[in-house]
Amino acid sequence: MQDKLIQKLEILSDAAKYDASCASGSAGKRKAGKTDKTGIGSLTGGSGICHSFTPDGRCVSLLKILMTNYCIYDCHYCINRVSSSVRRARFTVKETVDLTLNFYKRNYIEGLFLSSGIVGSPDLTMESMVRIAKSLRIDHGFKGYIHLKTIPNASPELQTEAGLYADRLSINVEMPTQPSLNKYAPEKDLGAIHGSMNTLKDKIAEHKADKSYSGKRPPSFAPGGQSTQMIVGADDSSDKIILKTSVNLYKQQKLRRVYYSAFSPIPDASEVLPLKPAPLMREHRLYQADWLLRFYGFNLDEILQNDMLDMEHDPKLAWALRNRHVFPIDLNKADKQLLLRVPGLGARTVQKILAIRRYTKLSWVDLTKMRLPLQKLKPFISVSDYLPAIHLLDSAHFELQFKQPKQFELFAT
Amino acid sequence: MKTISITSVPGYDEWRIASRACLAQSIPPEEIIWQSSQSIQDDLFGDNGQTTKVYEPKATHSIPKSVLALFKYALCHKDASRFALCYRVLWRVIFENRNLIQLKTDNDILRLNALVKAVKRDAYKMSAFLRFRKLVIEEQEHFVAWYEPEHFSLEIKLNFFQTRFKNMRWSILTPYRAAHWDTENLTLGDNPDSSAYPDDDQIEKYWLTYYANIFNPARIKKSAMLSSMPKKYWKNMPETALIEDMINKSNARARKMILDGKKS
Repeated sequence: MQDKLIQKLEILSDAAKYDASCASGSAGKRKAGKTDKTGIGSLTGGSGICHSFTPDGRCVSLLKILMTNYCIYDCHYCINRVSSSVRRARFTVKETVDLTLNFYKRNYIEGLFLSSGIVGSPDLTMESMVRIAKSLRIDHGFKGYIHLKTIPNASPELQTEAGLYADRLSINVEMPTQPSLNKYAPEKDLGAIHGSMNTLKDKIAEHKADKSYSGKRPPSFAPGGQSTQMIVGADDSSDKIILKTSVNLYKQQKLRRVYYSAFSPIPDASEVLPLKPAPLMREHRLYQADWLLRFYGFNLDEILQNDMLDMEHDPKLAWALRNRHVFPIDLNKADKQLLLRVPGLGARTVQKILAIRRYTKLSWVDLTKMRLPLQKLKPFISVSDYLPAIHLLDSAHFELQFKQPKQFELFAT
Repeated sequence: MKTISITSVPGYDEWRIASRACLAQSIPPEEIIWQSSQSIQDDLFGDNGQTTKVYEPKATHSIPKSVLALFKYALCHKDASRFALCYRVLWRVIFENRNLIQLKTDNDILRLNALVKAVKRDAYKMSAFLRFRKLVIEEQEHFVAWYEPEHFSLEIKLNFFQTRFKNMRWSILTPYRAAHWDTENLTLGDNPDSSAYPDDDQIEKYWLTYYANIFNPARIKKSAMLSSMPKKYWKNMPETALIEDMINKSNARARKMILDGKKS
């Protein structure tokens, strides 16, 4: 019987590995109460703990599994589509709950990330997933992290119930446009996905704002918000289209995160799909651009000159190279917004610089002490005792020095 | 010259008491030799040899909380110079510049922050990479972990483990100290025996199965893995035994995915 559980786990974790999101953070703090004699777990606030790392460099923070990989849909990019010959399995509610608790007690994980193929109907599937989350929370007093991947087309009631137990809810957009969805995921409807997100967005806002007269907090509702994922490089959508979609999702649906997943070949793939994996560098550049849009005050037009991001340089450096007239920037005088635009200065470093500046002037020695990437910074900045040689920025070969020594190549050997 | 011996680890309380006494007598940092040794069992102020009771004067100087918070971490570092460094910073905060810790490029502050950062990272890794194994003692579940932190990080993370595993009985054994929690009380003991850590756990095989299957063989990034999980941590993490094999087979697995894709 135990071996059977191992087999299921093999199949249902293997099937979940294509989902990029693994974060377990930003749902606030939580712990078992003083009088709670059975509950287990806590949320520490901030981003969740990475309990291990796999050779693909990814953090293992959650037990990320599918409830089942049986599916009635036929999305071409998906290994679990109905027409795939992959081995199938299904966890019971109890098996999922026990596995989560057993892993948690040994300090392997921060919680559960549950996704699922669609069995029977969207509602039936969603109902089982909600039962798992509910059992963890109510029967076992589980205070760890729960992320549920909600099922598109499941009833609003079930989605709402899911939000009572889950810290984060997500629905994968998968493709940025409806024509792409039509081609690759014929059963999926962008309108319905947005509708779902909208419902949840309103619920989240409602629960945050609502405070009754007694001062009692309403039950929390998906305190970690919503996220989604887009597959990059399976269809022919450009970076511009992808990032535009992200900007809209952040703005309109108040999403916390958009994940990008470079299309990676799946066993028993559909012939509609490209045979080659998308370059990981493209995914990397999209994340960099996403960060610039959210935390560095850039807008889309500044980042994108044409339809695709520059593969050679990161988007911040690429912007700086196009806007050399702005530099060099005086680290002792420039305001925060401008400092954030200097290639080689991250948001944290900028905070540090601003703090130090209140008490003393920054000199070159200070920069070495802060262990900043001086080679990269050199042409773009000035400090009290350093001004870059003027030819640094004007040289025609300027860009060459930033060339990546080698590209990520998947099958280089 | 005054010699102060700190006899416990990490030594925060001893350092605090001694530092207050030194401040009360206005002894500048350069006139103190801090010794850190568990074997020296002299009086705290061995050179005057008259007090058996620790003399704790009333604080006459107010120290910003943010500074004390940094000391709490820094004093858990294994570097023996931590006591002298913290006293020097304390002295300078009081007599030179109350905002000293804002001067992040001052050499003492750089060093202090480096210690703090190292301890914070070490403590974080402890909360991440420590693994419990289950024992059943008199029909009661008891979870035991053996972990070797680089610094004295157990002290930093006790609160975390007590909160998260409040209703579990557990013991965390480190080379220098053990902590035992019985769902209500915490007991500490020195020099624990690592053999108390069970060899196996019935759930571990599921964890290994999960670990081996959740990674994507088509995108190996070994250096990214190693920077977040350097090899020094591997010995107490059962899943790391699988890594070499996973990497060796990854290329073949990824190729097979593509070939299988072409066939259909």
